[in-house]
Amino acid sequence: MREDHFIVIGNGPAGSQAAFTLKEKAPEARVTIVTKEREGCCHSHLLPGFLAGSISEKKVFAISLDHYTKSGIKLRTGQSVVDVNPQRKEILLEHKETISYSGLIIAVGGRPYIPEPLLAYREHLCTLKTFQDTGTWRQLLPAADSILIMGGDLTSLAVTKSLLALKKKIYFMLTGEAFWPLRFDKALQEEVSGKLTKRGVTVLAGNKLVGIEPVRSGSCRVYVDGQKIKVDMIGAFFGLVPDIGFLRRSGLQLDRGVLVDEYLCSSHEGICAAGDCAQIYHPEIKDYWVSIGTKNARSLGKIAAVNLAGGRKKTRVDRERIFDIQGVKVNTSWWMEF
Amino acid sequence: MSNKIIYSKQQEDFDYIAVNIPCQHACPVNTNIPAYIRALFESHHSSSYAINAMANIFPGVLGRICSRPCEDMCRHGEKELGNPVNICHIKRAAADLNKTPAEPLKPLPPCGKKVAVIGAGPAGLAAAHDLALAGIDVTVFESFDKPGGMLRYGIPRFRLPRTILEKEINRILKLGIILKTGVHIGDTLSLTSLLENHDCVLVAAGCYTANQLNTDGEDLKGVFSGLDFMIDVCSGRKPAVGKRVLVAGAGFTAFDCARSALRLGAEEVTICLRRTEEDLTVTADEIFQTKLEGVKFNALMLSRRILGTQKVEAVEFVRTRSGVLRPDGKREISEIKGSEFVLPADSLIVATGQTPLELTTGDGKLAVTDTASFTTSMSGVYATGDYLSGPSTVIEAISMGRKAAEVIARRLTGKKYRKKVVRMQETQVTDRLRAWDFVPRQAMPAIQGTTARLKSWAVEVETGFTAQQAAEESKRCYLCYLHYEIDIDRCIYCRYCIDVAPRDCIKLVDRIETNEHGAVTGLHETSVWKDVNAVVIDNARCIRCGECLRVCPVDCISVTRVELMEQGPPSDSSIAEHKNA
Amino acid sequence: MPGVDLTIEICGMSGDGTIAAGTLLNEALSGAGFSIIGFDSYPAEIRGFGRCVTRSRFGTSRMLALSDHTHVLISLDDQQAISRISMLGKNAKVLFDNKPAGTVQEGMSIAAHTAPDADLYGMPFTDLASEAAGTTRGKNLAALGCFTGLAGIDPRFFYTVIEKKFRAKGETVLNANLNSFNAGLTYAHTHFEDAPLVITAPAPEKKKVQRIMLSGNAAIARGALDAGLALYFGYPITPATPIMEYLAKTLPQKGGKVVQMEDEISSIGAVLGSFYAGKRAMTATSGPGLALMAEMISLGVMSETPAVIVDAQRGGPSTGLPTKTEQSDLHAAVFGGPGDSPRIVIAPTDVAECYQFTLKSFELAEKYQTPVIVLTDFFLDNRVENVAAADISGKKRVDGNIYPPKKEQGRYQRYLVTPSGISPRALPGSEGYIYPATGLEHTEAGLPDYSEPVHMQMNAKRHTKIRQALADLPPPKEFSQKGPLDLGVIAWGSSFGAALEAVLKARKKGLAVGALKVISLFPYHEEQIRQFMSRCRRVLIPELNFQGQLANLIGHLHHGDVVRFNRTTGTPLLPSEILLKIQELLQKDNT
Repeated sequence: MREDHFIVIGNGPAGSQAAFTLKEKAPEARVTIVTKEREGCCHSHLLPGFLAGSISEKKVFAISLDHYTKSGIKLRTGQSVVDVNPQRKEILLEHKETISYSGLIIAVGGRPYIPEPLLAYREHLCTLKTFQDTGTWRQLLPAADSILIMGGDLTSLAVTKSLLALKKKIYFMLTGEAFWPLRFDKALQEEVSGKLTKRGVTVLAGNKLVGIEPVRSGSCRVYVDGQKIKVDMIGAFFGLVPDIGFLRRSGLQLDRGVLVDEYLCSSHEGICAAGDCAQIYHPEIKDYWVSIGTKNARSLGKIAAVNLAGGRKKTRVDRERIFDIQGVKVNTSWWMEF
Repeated sequence: MSNKIIYSKQQEDFDYIAVNIPCQHACPVNTNIPAYIRALFESHHSSSYAINAMANIFPGVLGRICSRPCEDMCRHGEKELGNPVNICHIKRAAADLNKTPAEPLKPLPPCGKKVAVIGAGPAGLAAAHDLALAGIDVTVFESFDKPGGMLRYGIPRFRLPRTILEKEINRILKLGIILKTGVHIGDTLSLTSLLENHDCVLVAAGCYTANQLNTDGEDLKGVFSGLDFMIDVCSGRKPAVGKRVLVAGAGFTAFDCARSALRLGAEEVTICLRRTEEDLTVTADEIFQTKLEGVKFNALMLSRRILGTQKVEAVEFVRTRSGVLRPDGKREISEIKGSEFVLPADSLIVATGQTPLELTTGDGKLAVTDTASFTTSMSGVYATGDYLSGPSTVIEAISMGRKAAEVIARRLTGKKYRKKVVRMQETQVTDRLRAWDFVPRQAMPAIQGTTARLKSWAVEVETGFTAQQAAEESKRCYLCYLHYEIDIDRCIYCRYCIDVAPRDCIKLVDRIETNEHGAVTGLHETSVWKDVNAVVIDNARCIRCGECLRVCPVDCISVTRVELMEQGPPSDSSIAEHKNA
Repeated sequence: MPGVDLTIEICGMSGDGTIAAGTLLNEALSGAGFSIIGFDSYPAEIRGFGRCVTRSRFGTSRMLALSDHTHVLISLDDQQAISRISMLGKNAKVLFDNKPAGTVQEGMSIAAHTAPDADLYGMPFTDLASEAAGTTRGKNLAALGCFTGLAGIDPRFFYTVIEKKFRAKGETVLNANLNSFNAGLTYAHTHFEDAPLVITAPAPEKKKVQRIMLSGNAAIARGALDAGLALYFGYPITPATPIMEYLAKTLPQKGGKVVQMEDEISSIGAVLGSFYAGKRAMTATSGPGLALMAEMISLGVMSETPAVIVDAQRGGPSTGLPTKTEQSDLHAAVFGGPGDSPRIVIAPTDVAECYQFTLKSFELAEKYQTPVIVLTDFFLDNRVENVAAADISGKKRVDGNIYPPKKEQGRYQRYLVTPSGISPRALPGSEGYIYPATGLEHTEAGLPDYSEPVHMQMNAKRHTKIRQALADLPPPKEFSQKGPLDLGVIAWGSSFGAALEAVLKARKKGLAVGALKVISLFPYHEEQIRQFMSRCRRVLIPELNFQGQLANLIGHLHHGDVVRFNRTTGTPLLPSEILLKIQELLQKDNT
């Protein structure tokens, strides 16, 4: 009999947790993690703190690379999966290597979403999702006195906090559609806006962006509804979209994320999804939701692994932590902390 | 080298085309895509246009709004090879760049037969075109004021400028076709009376009955059918949509409605999908442009009730669960019980498809009896286009129109007019460079910035390739109509060709599998040297790079140009030979 | 800014252009001002299944030896390069072709084998070359371009060397290569903008030094050419063959001849004959060949005929390990041969010395009328270094011959006993200078004579003569502080670089250690060596042989303990292992 080979795509909190759980539940099986990141498991929610200098690089990478090796998990860093073939139970890597699996967990997480109308200004917009992203920030921050934050997702607020600690002048363009798949309602928008203003942030709520014009390297002139502000850096925080483009031709059922049931199983046998690329309909809250935040991701990773290894565990929704607007819900454990 | 041309009608050669020239095979009218792309590359814009026009009649129109089944099949789009060639926009470039007016087509001498075509949409006009060329006297009856059908009343001007449409319609009408507009069949003129003056009647009346949601509140103010909405918009009327617009539907019409609503001043337009964005059949370009203009998408929801007292105030939806793919390519969906939710809205545009407005005969409704032979319940009356098949694409409608015309012309004159044939001619390796395989797909230039776009209905969003961009894009075509073959009798099995092959396209085989017609269906590879009986180029994998031919030390690889074409009325075949020059 | 010290490997299948890429890389980095030491490794089998590896260490300070680990691996063929992964250090960068012709099974790509900390850079070398030049042949250049882009090195250094290499092949070939290189460069720039820069080129030297990339073997050949070599006789053997190949191309242009003989015995015979007749000649061989020459060398000793023999050592005994490096011929070179047959044995330690001491050996052979063995090894022969042009060219040849006075009084005494032991030597054909030259023991006149006093006198004469040579031989060179040392490291030949690097590192750590380079192995500078040893509490002699052959030779000069560090794995000694040994010894002393 061929040995079991579990593959986990993604090495974030969900993916790594899934891999370690699989190894625990099925010690005889091969477990491989494939991640396109060059580094180890990065806690991206700590990156704003890392920028402010309050969190060390070591803390950002919670799991040492040796720990994977010692646990018998093959970790492939810097390698992208470009296709999944559920019929042949194979994944294809960007460098054209195929790997067979007996079970697959998709935990690729999300990538920063840039609303299509803003794509024309992409080169001026800094995002903060991976450790590599911190490079640009660290390069530009020392010389940047004023920073424009666009969007309004969870990271944006944490970044704002960090930048305020670094004594930067912050403009904040709060946008309704900042937070896929949510839209702020008026009350929430006002609440956030109030909190920001109290901290000394200039809030440009409800304003429309007309254009961005680079002045010199790094600095930009931003035109907002007739007024013009000059900033040294622009951060874009419009939430994350699941990074599942590689599944387009796989036949898996996709919407924004991978559609899975409450057991995190996809439409195809032997394929689960976890973390914030898993889109779940939850009967209790009567809606599709994605779960974000490190803690949730880890718990989902564990559940996916347990179920892939033959268990039958349901995801739980913690009602208080559900961020509920307009019928679309996000399970988050840390948004409200701001 | 012999330049002998072989015309084959062997099934095995048609089978070959189906596998090896996937774009041409995917095109409902079998446009000779490699030929027109090559002609454009050589700056023969008028030839490129003519090769198109021969098959699809409306190159300028299709170059903008075709659903592009060819690009889905393009070999360049295979997983490891990158993105499909921008076939559609090269077609547009051929039309845009062609400065020489097309040679007027010459119909065959009149044969004394008369046919009435009902509907001046793509199917009707295509049929009229072919019938007129056969020497038949054609009259087209159109209920709208102007010809074009869905091209004119279903597609907004910012996607299809009317000058382009009119130019190509006029080209057809110039064949001597009589067009009578504003005529509703059934009101003043019945099918029966038409049959009295004509040998045959072809119904190409399209689908003009919009599907209803059949829910409460459908009569409220602010509820539009996508079809009526587009007809209004295209006729220059300005429906009041309010600020928040919901569009239910997932086809081109839904997208056109959403984008039109923005141009009518709506601030927040959301397309509500029953399935998901992944399941959309609309082209990726179209989705991107729509998002760029600010339209939002919401998936996995089904409208249940329209709420409001005087006018629409909100719409109640229910969540759907997506299921397996049905054989028709659509995904199964089911409602999730108890998942109702409400979205506020000022208007709702229902663009969930349409059905034919059935014509009546003396005995009742006109029914289609056989879709293959285009016959109906009424003798002498044929049906084609969307009326026959239900909502389809423009290119499918044109294909159906032309096929119906052939059926009618044969029946009336007893003669065949159009025959499919495979033309083969030995040729030389092209000047294509391997480097061209790496040219990125050229993006269609579009007006940047929503303000500029929404300024006027007349602003065409996609501005078209420059000559240079078009030439660059046309470099990308592998020219799959070239067939590379190793002459096994001369091959010395050195395998140099395999060493330089860009992918696993040259194989060591012990036997070749063929179907009952003799077409190659499979190559049985072997890695045991003593079992190798041939070195074979797998033309289904071949990207026509020519590397093998260049390294072959014994010159045993030949290139043959293999094309599926139509032997049509004499006036057309001159074009066919012209572009081969 | 900390200095650069990196090792880069290129690995591919024969036909991938691996060696060419390695050469271009070395030349370009040399142009950029780095110091380079390169060593291509071969598989054990001579034909080797087609794997090619070039390995270069380069840096801002002088590169003395190889490093433990590879920092950058460029794979032109994953199947071959997978075996190189064991050489990778922490966070190594691996550049590989991520667009092979077809899909491959799990494990067939190098990406399946690298450790998680490795930084993978998948780049479509083949496609880039196809795109840029229409042929896959330029994939090595595309790979170099990718590397250059990633490393942030000024591409102009590469343009210069590519131009130099391909200009002669015509515009088309040159452009194809330049285009492939540029395609790789652009790809790296556009796809890895955020990637950390690997290498910062050193500041340009104040005084522009012209440098030449040269292998030890080439340096030996150039030394011989500059010495006015007239004849080369040889029989091919790894690793000495490249000397013959180099000379076969260059010597005839200078009016000389290269003759491939039927074996090593005839080769040394012909060399002796040439020198006897007054023409400079040389042969090069390896251990097995040296063994065959032993009898003829002693003929040179007995008949006091000059000869220059290069012994390029490889793993032994017998056929041994033909493609591996070892320093195990020292005993054979110094003592091999019948009877008491003293000869000069000299061992260069780097490429420049290969040139200098080969050149010098002709003068020594003539002056002291003796065979001179230049002792090198596989690692020294095949390594490349970018040496200053001034160090390896333009040295004046010196005629070492001591001729008898024009008018000889009485009968010519060919083997006249003199205080120095050197008897003026007349070349055959000089009028009035007839003498028998023989392998039999002989009188001053050259007549065979086995009598007691004659043999005693002549043995003494021959040994005196060789001891006299010490004055002309390069003395040991010390690298240390003044005063007493806790440890002295004495090394020779190709291992000295590693020993010196280890000592320099140990000194940086505050340890009182010093290094002594011994070049002349026989005769050796007893006084200087003893003097160095006397300042050392302990002496460590690292060498690539089992017995500790240098330790056997000079160990007795030390008053105390001589620690031998011997390794016979067939690979060069590494600074790290010597450093480890130093630390271990000193730690033991302290506890």
